[in-house]
Amino acid sequence: MDLRHTFRRDRNLTRWLFVLPAMLVVISLLIYPVFSTVANSFTNRTLIRPAYKFTGLTNYINILKDVEFHNAFFNTIVWTFFSLLGQVVIGFIGALCLNKVRGKIPRTIYRICMIIPWAFPSIAIALVWKWLLNGIYGFIPSMLSQLNLSEGMVQFLSTPHLVLPTLVFVNIWFGSPLIMVNTYAALQTIPQDQYEAAQIDGANAWQSFRAITIPHIKVVIGLLVVLRTIWVFNSFDIIYMMTAGGPASVSTTMSIYIYKLGWTSRMTGKASAAAVILLIFLLVLCAVYFLLLRRWEKEDL
Amino acid sequence: MKGRSKLGPIFTHGFLIVMCVVSVFPLLWLLMSAFKSSAEMLANPTTIFPKQWTLENFETVLVTLKFTVNIRNSLIISLATTLIAITISTLAAYGIVRFFPKLGNAMTKLLITTYMFPAIMLVIPYGIIMARMGLTNTRFGLVMVYLSFSVPYAVWLLVGFFKTVPIGIEEAARIDGANKLQVFRVIVLPLVAPGMVATAIYTFINAWNEFLYAMILMSSSDKTTISVAVKTLEGADILNWGALMAACAVVVVPSIIFFCIIQNKITGGLSEGAVK
Repeated sequence: MDLRHTFRRDRNLTRWLFVLPAMLVVISLLIYPVFSTVANSFTNRTLIRPAYKFTGLTNYINILKDVEFHNAFFNTIVWTFFSLLGQVVIGFIGALCLNKVRGKIPRTIYRICMIIPWAFPSIAIALVWKWLLNGIYGFIPSMLSQLNLSEGMVQFLSTPHLVLPTLVFVNIWFGSPLIMVNTYAALQTIPQDQYEAAQIDGANAWQSFRAITIPHIKVVIGLLVVLRTIWVFNSFDIIYMMTAGGPASVSTTMSIYIYKLGWTSRMTGKASAAAVILLIFLLVLCAVYFLLLRRWEKEDL
Repeated sequence: MKGRSKLGPIFTHGFLIVMCVVSVFPLLWLLMSAFKSSAEMLANPTTIFPKQWTLENFETVLVTLKFTVNIRNSLIISLATTLIAITISTLAAYGIVRFFPKLGNAMTKLLITTYMFPAIMLVIPYGIIMARMGLTNTRFGLVMVYLSFSVPYAVWLLVGFFKTVPIGIEEAARIDGANKLQVFRVIVLPLVAPGMVATAIYTFINAWNEFLYAMILMSSSDKTTISVAVKTLEGADILNWGALMAACAVVVVPSIIFFCIIQNKITGGLSEGAVK
């Protein structure tokens, strides 16, 4: 405590040297680009012509009227909600089960096996699942057809109503381990004597789960949900590489929509406006989440 | 009561085994496909292990298609990103924990906020700036861009590790006449070294696995990373799944090995850095 005091009074420049490089990175690579995007969003800038002019809210109005935007927005909500729901449910049950396993060796084996999807680079996720689901030679459709569970080969990635659920499944496969590992780490911090005390008091398993487990880990899970929501909402790689938003636009999410505007149609201004809308939506979502979390944290104290 | 206590373990292990199989199977399938000949792959789409093991797919990818160039690019870019990011982040994390205890929380929150910025949004200004500075299609430019996601995350993880260093040790060194940099270098760094290694590996994996920025900002095939090269291969005229899976194996195996090494450390840092 004494030293912290000295440190704080020590107003020389050395302490700024420690944080300066990171501040430069954040300002030049994160803050500046955001302002630049906002500025571009009010122009008709393109990648083709160097000249551009201020067009006010035109981009925003055009986007909000665009049917493609409505479709992408709706798809993103579906994609995020179901991916997250699946990841949290499976990751949570996985963590509870893992926590029940006795013996260090089986626990480690389970754990290592289950985190493998998390380590997959997105290109490998996309290609291995495309190959597993391939409509002619794919393992899964061939299996389903051999076991007479489907008529012919199921075209998972080109049948419009199957595409988004398939992508969500792949995303759940990829994302559950992260939730599981973090929930498991949180479960380990719960003092065991609380459970013993509860048992002596005659509480059953469900009661101690509700009264001890849930309150202990809900803040960690809440934070994970916030971070994963952002991540899944913004994610681009898996969808782009598996379907590129197709067939037609049934799997086009906001990221894919912005990519198409900015790099396929080369309309930098319009793409920037769409990106700003995405960011605003995320900021609002996170504000709501953080308000909820703060309430939970207060309840704990 | 007795029936219940027997059912519990069955469900527990059953669930975990199913999860393990679902988790591991795509990796197994990827690796096995890489060792099968094209004829075998198309003839028996449901047999897992190759009847005849072959290296022809790896030969196609590494020799004929010269993916070694892209592997080298990926290695250079990921290593450079890791070195720069860890240097910057270690200094910052220590600075935040020790010298800005009050500002620290605000800084960490700012970093979490940057996590919210969509890559697809950032890539637009990056593209413009890099073109203006003549950095499009350069590894240096891509490394700079990679700092945008690696530095905030590394700082966040490292703050968690630095918080575990007791201030008393530093106090003693300061009383003995060491200056701030000496305390940092001689006392603190060795204590957080394991955390730093974990963070470095995590940074490396993320740079190694990155796709979007590389695809948009590195268009020439001899400069780009392995992920983008594999994606280009998929768009080739003749779709050779064996070669694709061999290429994927080259990308996925280092990532998984590194990940298994650090999996314990990363979570500790994540939940701690997140909650505090």
